[in-house]
Amino acid sequence: MSDISDAADLIATARDALLAELLPALPKDRRYTGLMIANAMAIAMREERLGFDAARSEAARLRNLLDAIGASPARAADPIESELATLRADIRDAIRDGRFDAPERWKTLIAALLHAASDRVAISNPKALRGEAAVAPR
Amino acid sequence: MPEALREHVVDTPEATALARWLEGEMRAHDVRVTRYERLPGGAIQDNFLLDVDVADGPFRGTHALVLRTDAPTAVAASLTRAQEFAVLRVAHDAGVAAPKPLFLCRDRRVIGREYFVMERLPGIAPGHRLTREAALVPDGDALARALGANLAKIHAIRPPIAVLDVLPPPAADPARATIAEYRGYLDGLEDAYPALECALRWCDVHAQSSHDVTLVHRDYRTGNYLVDAGWLTGVLDWEFAGFGDPREDLGWFTARCWRFAAPGREAGGIAALEPFLDGYESVAGWRIARADLDYWQLMAHLRWAIIALQQAQRHRAGGERSLELALTGRIVHELEYEALQLLAQIAR
Repeated sequence: MSDISDAADLIATARDALLAELLPALPKDRRYTGLMIANAMAIAMREERLGFDAARSEAARLRNLLDAIGASPARAADPIESELATLRADIRDAIRDGRFDAPERWKTLIAALLHAASDRVAISNPKALRGEAAVAPR
Repeated sequence: MPEALREHVVDTPEATALARWLEGEMRAHDVRVTRYERLPGGAIQDNFLLDVDVADGPFRGTHALVLRTDAPTAVAASLTRAQEFAVLRVAHDAGVAAPKPLFLCRDRRVIGREYFVMERLPGIAPGHRLTREAALVPDGDALARALGANLAKIHAIRPPIAVLDVLPPPAADPARATIAEYRGYLDGLEDAYPALECALRWCDVHAQSSHDVTLVHRDYRTGNYLVDAGWLTGVLDWEFAGFGDPREDLGWFTARCWRFAAPGREAGGIAALEPFLDGYESVAGWRIARADLDYWQLMAHLRWAIIALQQAQRHRAGGERSLELALTGRIVHELEYEALQLLAQIAR
């Protein structure tokens, strides 16, 4: 651990202060805004921790999908965001052209996209991942 | 009016203007506004709680009302207040549980915007509470049956209806028209969304021939109806209503993204699917097939994702910086995930 707080530690500490010291003191009609700020900070913390690996892993999955249908995937680029943008656009075009319509290809496509989507939900709202139901069926 | 009550009269310029306008609408000589407050929520519409005392005329007495107007920053694709007023009147007259619409004002000189006034129904609406607090919904099955039956009453309203000529005519093939519209919208964005494209592809390939065209609410879901002592008192937020495929509303109501704290309860987080469909069938005389419900649940996730992207765009590109809009954009990730879960389940 570094001697001086990094970005992640600053956001985490600021969020703790918001929740412990400011939120209880806020008037009722400002509480929702306080909770939204805490939520935004939590997302930013998770993205800082998981975002790069999630993007790398999604790029690899999309690249494999394009390989399997014989499309020539975009070359690895820097930064990862621009590479991912190109890969996603290529996948979109292939889906619209029906190139994943065959049942086995379709299943592979859904499985790969589901992995990528889970990684993003783990950042945006991990509670929404399956198996995290807050209330049992009535 | 008793002297003691005079102290409670709200005499801001807007409340006074409303009182004078209501005197005309209610054919009274003395209308006083005793409470006038903005209600929370509503990124698209502004709602105000409005209590009035009417001293004379056919409306003599006290009235608990809601005034509904456009928010300062309205989005496209929703009805004008005049259109919504017309829809609400037709629905209420058909016996749908909904607030009774009273008066429409298109004169912008009164409060600066178009608005209408409707009766205020008792009950609470927030989805996170109704799906979590058992005391609010002691009999979820009964509430789900009532919600199903009430939705079928909306769907019994079919075009042509003269007073609803203000609405756009129904599309010949509502599902495919919607798919084309969503693809067009996505094409205008910076990024591509492969998960949404999968859902669009599947819905396009599997679009069935058109069902009946009926009035559809298009936002009939937990969070948009009032429950008082466990009973449905009325359905709110008619701003997206129009003519379309009634199965769209069934998919929207039951889609996982509208079950709040209880994703295991398919009927809006309130109950299992069966009582909801039983209630619907008791009025409509037909029951949606499981495959059709899957299809329209997928369409529901697509629609919510497109709306969330539009909200994100208001923040990112529309010059309307807002934390709420930014966070709504992040919901797209969950909706992609849910759409893919549904597609995986269907492909199995």
